[in-house]
Amino acid sequence: MFKKVFRVEGGNFQKAGSVSKQIKKILKQLNLDGELIWRAMIIAYEAEINAVLYAHECQVSLEITAEKIYMRFKDKGPGIPDISLAMTEGYSTATRAMRERGFGAGLGLPNIRKTSDHFEITSTVGVGTTLDIDLFLN
Amino acid sequence: MKYLTHSSHSIMIDKELCTGCVVCTLACPVQAIRVRDGKAEVNKSELCIDCGECLRVCPEQAVKSMTLHAEDLTGYKVLVALPSPALYAQFGDLYTPNDILLALRKIGFHKVCDLALNCEMVLIAIGEYLRSHTAVRPMLSNFCPAVTRLILKNYPKLIDHIIPIETPREIAADQMRRKIMRERGIESGEIGVFHITPCPAKMISITDPVGVEKSNLDGAIAIRDLYVRLRKALKEIEDDWILQKSSGVGISWATGQASMRGLPSMTSLSVTGVGDVIQILDDVEAEHLGDVDYLELSICPGGCVGGPLVVQNKHVAASHIANLVEQYGVRSRVDPRKIERQLEQTYLLDQKKFLPQEPEPLDTDLTRALEKMAKIEEYRSLLPGRQCGACGAPSCEALAEDIVKGEAHLSDCIFERIKELEHALEGDRGGVESGDPE
Repeated sequence: MFKKVFRVEGGNFQKAGSVSKQIKKILKQLNLDGELIWRAMIIAYEAEINAVLYAHECQVSLEITAEKIYMRFKDKGPGIPDISLAMTEGYSTATRAMRERGFGAGLGLPNIRKTSDHFEITSTVGVGTTLDIDLFLN
Repeated sequence: MKYLTHSSHSIMIDKELCTGCVVCTLACPVQAIRVRDGKAEVNKSELCIDCGECLRVCPEQAVKSMTLHAEDLTGYKVLVALPSPALYAQFGDLYTPNDILLALRKIGFHKVCDLALNCEMVLIAIGEYLRSHTAVRPMLSNFCPAVTRLILKNYPKLIDHIIPIETPREIAADQMRRKIMRERGIESGEIGVFHITPCPAKMISITDPVGVEKSNLDGAIAIRDLYVRLRKALKEIEDDWILQKSSGVGISWATGQASMRGLPSMTSLSVTGVGDVIQILDDVEAEHLGDVDYLELSICPGGCVGGPLVVQNKHVAASHIANLVEQYGVRSRVDPRKIERQLEQTYLLDQKKFLPQEPEPLDTDLTRALEKMAKIEEYRSLLPGRQCGACGAPSCEALAEDIVKGEAHLSDCIFERIKELEHALEGDRGGVESGDPE
């Protein structure tokens, strides 16, 4: 098993995307299937951008075994009051400033779920949100 | 051997001039260079994209371009020059593109082609292709060999995005060659077709092209290596033939901005410089630019005028190009109907079959690869994170990888060695202190 933990800083657009890039590099070196790497990267990128946009900080845990890629995004932040609404395509709480940067189309979470093999979300308002994602190797 | 050549790359490193200073190692955007035994080498040859950054930054000028020199052009009955439009920006506003084409004839080329015109043809073909094929977006330009190599090596998922229209230089070379063979009744091998290039990457796209067996060109010569002779010839031009047929559209290819002028009905972006190109390809891969039709990508900052083998400062050159665009306008003389016909006959279509060129994985066995990955992490956490390059690798992470691959040792790290020395000294001091009477 290979494990690595990354940290995403909320509000820091300068580094936005750097964690998903590192994850992509690791998966490539492991010679995993291209389509799988791309899916993992889409998920990591969306989740990372979400963390930059909404959270104070986010801990990203990556675990790879011969069976699966597991990613956990655990953030400290405002939390999500209505998860089913947040999972609706096109729904977004993005501010105007975020939209002006090209984010906030309301596709992040639904896209992550769609791309994962297994997806779980838990959230406590005022505490934070955790995403647990599995991608199976076979 | 004085030179360390890399058979499939466009640069070589002069071992006598190289001081092992790691400037190139740190500058290489794909971390392909290592300093071993005090000399730089493109150690990770499979990662190199031929961008020429090493050549640009080397303070000792030890990194040499593999482009040809005038004395290499022997054995041909007819010499043909296809100058990059960047050449038009090298001599100031005093000389027109036509003057420069005439000067190329004066220094010995029998036939000279205004490549900027072929750029216009290709742009029209790209526009046609984009109009009739809307499934994949954005499409990516293919004229910069370093960009193409970057995509094949690091973004194999985007191979389908590479625009399948042949490059202006390959089309021009094919057309010129056929025309001369027909007119003079000579063999193809008796005609030498040479690109006058702002970068070494064009040379490798000729000697070792990707996706196709053979290039239509015979070689490339650096703009800077012809500069002095051209400058002299420009002052002695007597002919008044019209060789230039291009408008400002083709000329603006030199700054990587031709699509903005030549594809007015398309959403296109001009992206130049290796860092920006990598960033935008990341965005394309993450499917964030689906509303853009075409990306015009140049690895050199500012486009081809920013190539490492030019003479003129790239900002000055860009201003010359802007003046030329104004002077010659943005109405191309190329007949779009002719291009449509050629596209129908698949003449302008790029027949290349690109395959991913991904670097070797840590191990083909996943369990062993995972173990090696964990080891890399372990070494990385031991290393100081100074990213100084003193070990010869471009970063602590790269050294950790090299150690696990058996290509380097932990003691290559200067800070590790200091630690070892300190330990040894403490041991010594301990011994002295115990015997010290004070």
